[in-house]
Amino acid sequence: MDIKEILFSLSERDAIGIVDDASVYAKDYLSEYAEVKSIGNLSVLGFIKGKSDYTVLLDAHIDQIGMIVTDVDNEGFLTVSNSGGIDIRALPARAVTVHGKEKIPAVFCSTPPHLSKGETEYTDISEIKLDTGLGGKAKTIVSVGDYVTFTALPAELSGDLVTGRSFDDRSGVACLLETAKRLSGKELPVSVAFLLSDGEELGMRGATIAAFDINADEAIAVDVSFGDGIGISETECGKLTGGAMIGVSPVLCRDLSDRLINLARHNGIKYQLEAMGGKTGTNADVIAVSRGGVKTCTVSIPLRNMHTEVETLSLQDLNSVCDLLEKYILSGGLLNA
Amino acid sequence: MLNFLKELTALDGVSGEENSVRDYIISKIEGHCEYRIDPLGSIIAFKKGKNRSDKKLMVDAHMDEVGLIITSVTSGGFLGFSAVGGIDTAVLMFRRVRIGNVNGVITGKPIHLISAEERKKPPKADSLYIDIGAASKEEALELVRIGDRAVICGEYEEMGSKIKAKAIDDRAGCAILISLLTADSDYDFYATFSVQEEVGLRGAKAATFTVDPDSAIVLEATTAADIAGVEASKRVCLLGEGPAVSFMDRATVYDRDYYNAALNSGIKCQPKAAVAGGNNSGAVHLSRGGVRTLAISVPCRYIHSPSCVADAEDIKNAARLAQYMINGICSGEIE
Repeated sequence: MDIKEILFSLSERDAIGIVDDASVYAKDYLSEYAEVKSIGNLSVLGFIKGKSDYTVLLDAHIDQIGMIVTDVDNEGFLTVSNSGGIDIRALPARAVTVHGKEKIPAVFCSTPPHLSKGETEYTDISEIKLDTGLGGKAKTIVSVGDYVTFTALPAELSGDLVTGRSFDDRSGVACLLETAKRLSGKELPVSVAFLLSDGEELGMRGATIAAFDINADEAIAVDVSFGDGIGISETECGKLTGGAMIGVSPVLCRDLSDRLINLARHNGIKYQLEAMGGKTGTNADVIAVSRGGVKTCTVSIPLRNMHTEVETLSLQDLNSVCDLLEKYILSGGLLNA
Repeated sequence: MLNFLKELTALDGVSGEENSVRDYIISKIEGHCEYRIDPLGSIIAFKKGKNRSDKKLMVDAHMDEVGLIITSVTSGGFLGFSAVGGIDTAVLMFRRVRIGNVNGVITGKPIHLISAEERKKPPKADSLYIDIGAASKEEALELVRIGDRAVICGEYEEMGSKIKAKAIDDRAGCAILISLLTADSDYDFYATFSVQEEVGLRGAKAATFTVDPDSAIVLEATTAADIAGVEASKRVCLLGEGPAVSFMDRATVYDRDYYNAALNSGIKCQPKAAVAGGNNSGAVHLSRGGVRTLAISVPCRYIHSPSCVADAEDIKNAARLAQYMINGICSGEIE
């Protein structure tokens, strides 16, 4: 199974709140190559023992953005709140799945043309109702607290670009699963903990508690970052097909950044630098200050249309990330640095 | 008939490129009627019935759907586009599109990178581009041509008794008209599957001239605003209450006798309770020396979006009402 198939399999499944089929899939995949256990609803921890107890934590979050039902009315319309950052401008007339007693399709209302005063303006997601088409029967299937997810299936664009939902951060998860596969059966100088963490989109909750338990010596958070595209200046994004984005920031470990840069350079792995002025907006922010502090860096995948169901990335960037993570572990990380 | 609808909504037929819809319809009506293709691409069919009528009746449905046309390519390989037909910009953002066999997405700035003020309003349509994965203008032009149509993707799904799909406007009308042509008919009638409705009722204008009917029935889909937060007086028509029949819209003043006959038919139907929108009737009723015209419309939520929602029973009742009106007009019972 190549990285595209892993990514697509993960994108087709869900991991949000109590909806867990992406986690189940990832845990099953990882169990071929590592000792696995679940933490809470969605987080999965895989462990490969190396020659040393010195442990490198590789993190990618498995949770996704979505919505949660806050009201069901008698005509079959739902009110929802966001679970993670949602661009409400793009919701009207969008089809989604409601995870009620059964999975049902639903459509966000759009303003009919005869009622539109020119420009539609919404200020809150609760103003855009969700139509189940079920009328009064909706209450027998949908309850307050049920999760709602986007529906688009992954697809290939031209070149090696692919598009789909939840690539943030299933692409990171896919890289970790592929890296585990590459490392399995090899003699590793260090032990590796693979953390597929829950709750990143709600404030990095899963990584906060898991990092405490894992008590790693160093960590790399693998997440997505902004990719180049329409309306985005070169200074605020990475380039699709430009390779793994290695983070450099006051909150990250410069030795770890430099080690990654040197490995990429010496092994011909495509990379680009992502310099940030402070916090990274990834799980690295919480892992770095776990317990007494953990040397931490970010490796990111450039992604267009973040937090939409048409998130778009380059498969060769995923391979660059996998190459870099593999080399990093095989080289022993900062153990002997 | 609902199976026709499912298959028809899966086909791409943005105005001016209705080929695949036309081919599908021909494959279904072949052998059941005479037909020809007019110079603009509309299908003009003649259904031989058991009886002749003094009245020459035409039944119309349009094949085209709203979508996009590629107008430019940036040096970075992104495609600029214009809307074909009326589309709300909010419905375009971050959508999957298809240009022939080429997949694309409508790309934009992610919410993380825009201001709080920008987050409230849909972006201007001219700030949106299609990403097909091409890295340069040259790469893009190997895959698409300027002038190609892009269809906005939307899957067919059932929502209880309702149907969600793209292009229910007006594949619902096409599905009904196919079923009328493939069944036995009591009377002769003409059928037009017209092109270019969404860009100004153009196909119907030409086809109606050619058919030269006395009377016409236009099968359509129309806005239903029976959604949360809309008061009863502004809902236009309601899903599940039968097809909507129009007395007046922004393009047509309808024949009042036909309107009354439809409402008194005993078949579940409702008045279209707003003077809004328009359809091929606008071109049909002004053809030559004038044509007595009735519109029978399937109520449709979120029309002109990739997630139209209509009720299956309304479509069946629209077909029953069309059949009733054909027989009534042709027999002379409806005057």
